[in-house]
Amino acid sequence: MKNVMNRRRMLATLGGLSAALLAGAMPARADDGEHDRRPRSSTTGPVPLPVTGIKGKVVIVGGGMAGVTLAKYLRLWGGAGIDVTLVEREGAYTSNILSNLVLNGNVAMSSLSFGYAKVASSYGVKVLQANVDGVDAVARRVHYMRNGLPGELPYDRLVLAPGIDFDFPPGLTTAEAQLAAPHAWKAGAQTLALRDQLKAMPAGGTFLMTIPAKPYRCPPGPYERACVVADWLRRNKPGSKVLVLDANPGITAEVATFTRAFNVTYQGIVTYIPNAAVTTVDIGAHFVYTTFGSTPFHGDVLNVIPPHRAGRIVADAGLANDPVGKFAVVDVLSYESTMIPGIHVIGDAAATTMPKAGHIANQEAKVCADAMIRLMAGLAPDPSPVTNSACYSPITRETASWLTSVFAYDPVARAMAAVPASSGEAHAPSKDHYEDMFIWFDTLMKDAFA
Amino acid sequence: MRHAVLLAAALAAPALAHAQAPASVPGRLLASNCFQCHGTDGRGGFDEIAGKSPSEIVNKLKEMRAENKPGEIMNRHAAGYTDAQLKLIGDYLATRK
Ligand SMILES: Cc1cc2nc3c(=O)[nH]c(=O)nc-3n(C[C@H](O)[C@H](O)[C@H](O)COP(=O)(O)OP(=O)(O)OC[C@H]3O[C@@H](n4cnc5c(N)ncnc54)[C@H](O)[C@@H]3O)c2cc1C
Ligand code: HEC
Repeated sequence: MKNVMNRRRMLATLGGLSAALLAGAMPARADDGEHDRRPRSSTTGPVPLPVTGIKGKVVIVGGGMAGVTLAKYLRLWGGAGIDVTLVEREGAYTSNILSNLVLNGNVAMSSLSFGYAKVASSYGVKVLQANVDGVDAVARRVHYMRNGLPGELPYDRLVLAPGIDFDFPPGLTTAEAQLAAPHAWKAGAQTLALRDQLKAMPAGGTFLMTIPAKPYRCPPGPYERACVVADWLRRNKPGSKVLVLDANPGITAEVATFTRAFNVTYQGIVTYIPNAAVTTVDIGAHFVYTTFGSTPFHGDVLNVIPPHRAGRIVADAGLANDPVGKFAVVDVLSYESTMIPGIHVIGDAAATTMPKAGHIANQEAKVCADAMIRLMAGLAPDPSPVTNSACYSPITRETASWLTSVFAYDPVARAMAAVPASSGEAHAPSKDHYEDMFIWFDTLMKDAFA
Repeated sequence: MRHAVLLAAALAAPALAHAQAPASVPGRLLASNCFQCHGTDGRGGFDEIAGKSPSEIVNKLKEMRAENKPGEIMNRHAAGYTDAQLKLIGDYLATRK
């Protein structure tokens, strides 16, 4: 069953991406700079598309894990008659996945940059770099700003895939404060700011991080970060501590793995405090006030991950109709909004029973693509879709664990439900899993961007 | 058209002169659950799973599902599907050369 030889061979023959990632910040690619955002994908010839006779004009807002996958699969499965425009505010995408490994220097920031040239050249997706700032659902047009000039795009079907925005606590409402206490929960400049603060922290200091209440993106992600930082500190700044303040009543994912990591692997380094939701941040004093008692917590580095809401355009379009008014409720057979017909919401911005994560955002996009193609052909969506989530988490600089689950549609609850036998986590972190993590990442990103 | 100028030049991929393809292909959406780890259409990633005989894939997944070893990611994944779903997946992947 174990296919170790095969996997090791794969590893050796994988393209430059994995090689660069595995070697960490290789001298040849020494980048580190915020300006190094060269999209890695190169253009290739077009991929043959099926002739389905289906026609329609689709606009997708947001070229992240969900949006770019959808753009590709609408064309790959639906054919050239489906006119797909992907509107993304950035010139290239920066992956959040693996970005915790920028903090310990194992991964170069430039290795996490993915361009849109390939979805354009291979699948004929039209890519527009612009910020969408309004939706007119009656006239079926989106409004955008590009280089300071307004524009608009008509659509037959619109898909919002903007990821998340943050609800910053008092004390963190200015751009300066947000860089002084970086969340690093949208990878890029924030990640580099946090890494630089970590590097500059005095030995014996405290790295204080806060975790928002669920739902937030990548449930194991914050605990993974605590481990990666603790591992780096114990080797580079002995005597330093990691203080984890969690708004949740306990660890939210891979409980066994992270409990063991905090209590055994990082005993004396990591302190974990549940039920501690941030109320105020005092940047000047380096204090974080929480719902856990009235005494503030001090940190030399403050990594405050604020509560999440769907990317702003979702609320602006009137689609944030979950009970707390933060995320979009969708029919998970098609990801069509329950508020406005003809508008779909996928990825972290949607309120579903599935975790907010990139692997599952990719699968939601495929379910959405299949459903949209059927709808445009006058057919009903697949009545029993399946999705799956998988997450590899680094625990030290050379080991990782994983977490996975398959979800099937429950017609009674009209929601996706985890298949119990398919849900599980790695027994223990290992070097094998760490290597597998890069194969998984490389394959996932190609399935989305290439 | 103003938008046409603004849009990044994207050459529409020429469609092949095939017979009309259906809006949906049985097993395709189910099998796409494998693509994050085994590549788009099963070409790449951990193990190449495209173009094998349907029974090879189905038997392998049933074997992994039955092993029920909690610590193997592929065993967990295989446990997410019914026999009928595995057959659809195997049949679809076999058509991908
Ligand atoms: C540290 C960290 C580690 C993680 N690790 C994992 C992991 O191991 N596995 C995993 O599965 N997930 C992981 N995740 C979660 C994963 O990154 C997200 O769940 C995933 O990116 C969600 O995809 P999305 O497409 O919904 O949003 P995003 O990927 O955030 O993409 C949204 C895109 O929309 C664009 N956009 C937003 N608004 C507009 C607008 N108005 N106009 C134009 N463009 C707009 C943004 O610029 C962005 O490119 C991790 C996250 C973090 C922070
Ligand atoms: C989360 C990642 C992941 C997903 C999703 C996934 N696989 Fe796998 N698969 C793996 C890994 C890892 C291995 C290698 C197992 C090993 O070496 O122990 C593997 C191995 C296999 C093998 C080879 C087994 C052998 O030893 O010969 C087959 C066949 C396979 N997968 C089929 C599938 C199919 C079909 C799907 C979709 C229904 C799928 N996989 C989805 C990760 C995944």
